[in-house]
Amino acid sequence: MNIPAAERRTVITGLGIIAPNGMGTDAFWKATREGVSVLDRITREGCDGYPLRVAGEVRAFDPGVMVEERFLVQTDRFSHFAMAAADLALQNAQLRTEEMPAHRVGVVTAAGSGGGEFGQRELQRLWGKGPSYVGPYQSIAWFYAASTGQISIRGGFKGPCGVVASDEAGGLDAFAHAARSIRNGADAVVVGATEAPLAPYSMVCQLGYPELSRSEDPERAYLPFTAEACGFVPAEGGAMLVVEEEAAARARGAPVRAVVLGHGATFTRSSRWDRSREGLARAIGAALERSGCAPNEIDVVFADALGTVEADRAEALALADVLGPRAARVPVTAPKAGFGRAYGGAAALDVAAAVLALEHGTVPPTPRVTDVCHDLDLVTCRPRGVELRTALVLSRGLMGSNAALVLRRPEGEI
Amino acid sequence: MSRELTYEELASLMKSCTGITMDPQRLRDDPQAPLADIGLDSLGLLAIVSELEKRHGVQIDSGPEACKTPGDFVAAVNESLTVGA
Repeated sequence: MNIPAAERRTVITGLGIIAPNGMGTDAFWKATREGVSVLDRITREGCDGYPLRVAGEVRAFDPGVMVEERFLVQTDRFSHFAMAAADLALQNAQLRTEEMPAHRVGVVTAAGSGGGEFGQRELQRLWGKGPSYVGPYQSIAWFYAASTGQISIRGGFKGPCGVVASDEAGGLDAFAHAARSIRNGADAVVVGATEAPLAPYSMVCQLGYPELSRSEDPERAYLPFTAEACGFVPAEGGAMLVVEEEAAARARGAPVRAVVLGHGATFTRSSRWDRSREGLARAIGAALERSGCAPNEIDVVFADALGTVEADRAEALALADVLGPRAARVPVTAPKAGFGRAYGGAAALDVAAAVLALEHGTVPPTPRVTDVCHDLDLVTCRPRGVELRTALVLSRGLMGSNAALVLRRPEGEI
Repeated sequence: MSRELTYEELASLMKSCTGITMDPQRLRDDPQAPLADIGLDSLGLLAIVSELEKRHGVQIDSGPEACKTPGDFVAAVNESLTVGA
């Protein structure tokens, strides 16, 4: 279709969710809406004995059921999640990619650390037995780009493909990248992020983060926006979504779930959460400007919710800087407090949760949090029914990336 | 014992090294069917070559990983394995 690039809007038509609190849209939304917490002691093999005890594990995931063996052999768990989530998203969108020109379907993923579990196994072979025992798939499986490549190969998607390596915030930046691909001519992009940080080597890498929660109590380990906030709990999993050019989606009668309205990103620096205030505020400001959206049009905020008092304060102040008095009144939520923070996957899961919240007119609660110590209307304890048109999703990375994404319900469905 | 690579052994290696399930009879019946059609690329062939090198304790440097069909692959491997046998 020859629609000018500026008018090629990006809409979300499918959600593929592999989260600790549920696989698939229905299970995820039910648990998220009810504020179920699934944070628990880590049970994955070889992961005990480290000063990281609590995480969000995707225990229901059976890769052999969802992905063909030849793709499993070649890839790490983070790509297993990505391929399974991509399938769910394509099914959810009812997108028959086999009937589309292959070069009009693209893939964009974000990754924070690549395939640590696969890499550890091969490096142990290298130093334990010798170079000839390292399999050739080590050359591709650990790599940040692996999930994009494998989804592309597996689905035969030959359109614009890319990988965003920009920290947790990459999970939002990926949507901006996908929207750019749509503007430039792609009809559909499979986009999102999944991570698998719960393996011994990967866990050791995380132990250096001062923001990591070392609590052994699943009920107290991740309490963002409270005075007891003691860091974030990591998680595995994530979400892949299908985005399409709006006219093409409507022409095929697809369910248009939400419009990707605008994005903004900045980079401050690692471990300086006071500075993330300005960085996040500028990202939000840029996202609102590109969306043509006034601060008082924001109906719900999906917070980054890092879970240290300093970082949470910076986020609350960033919202106040941009939204003004609206910041204290707009419902804010952090569903990830119930299932953990899957690095880049966390931002993609927040996008999925925001789409579902807009559809249901329901702000899911922030699990386990009760006493909020910042000037925010944080939704706690139970879901809140409220008319929602526009959602703001925020993400910050431990290394200094800040991003904001604005989503809106499609017109005519309010 | 023959050192030569058979289609049975190749099928078994395809399974263990690359996760691809293949009936050895099909390899034998159509040895010129492109390996790409069953998703076996040069990385997969490299994994199989590496395993064969360990099994036989020899270096296979006749370039079988660049082969496009099972027939060519078996021939290239056997060229290396039977040298000096």
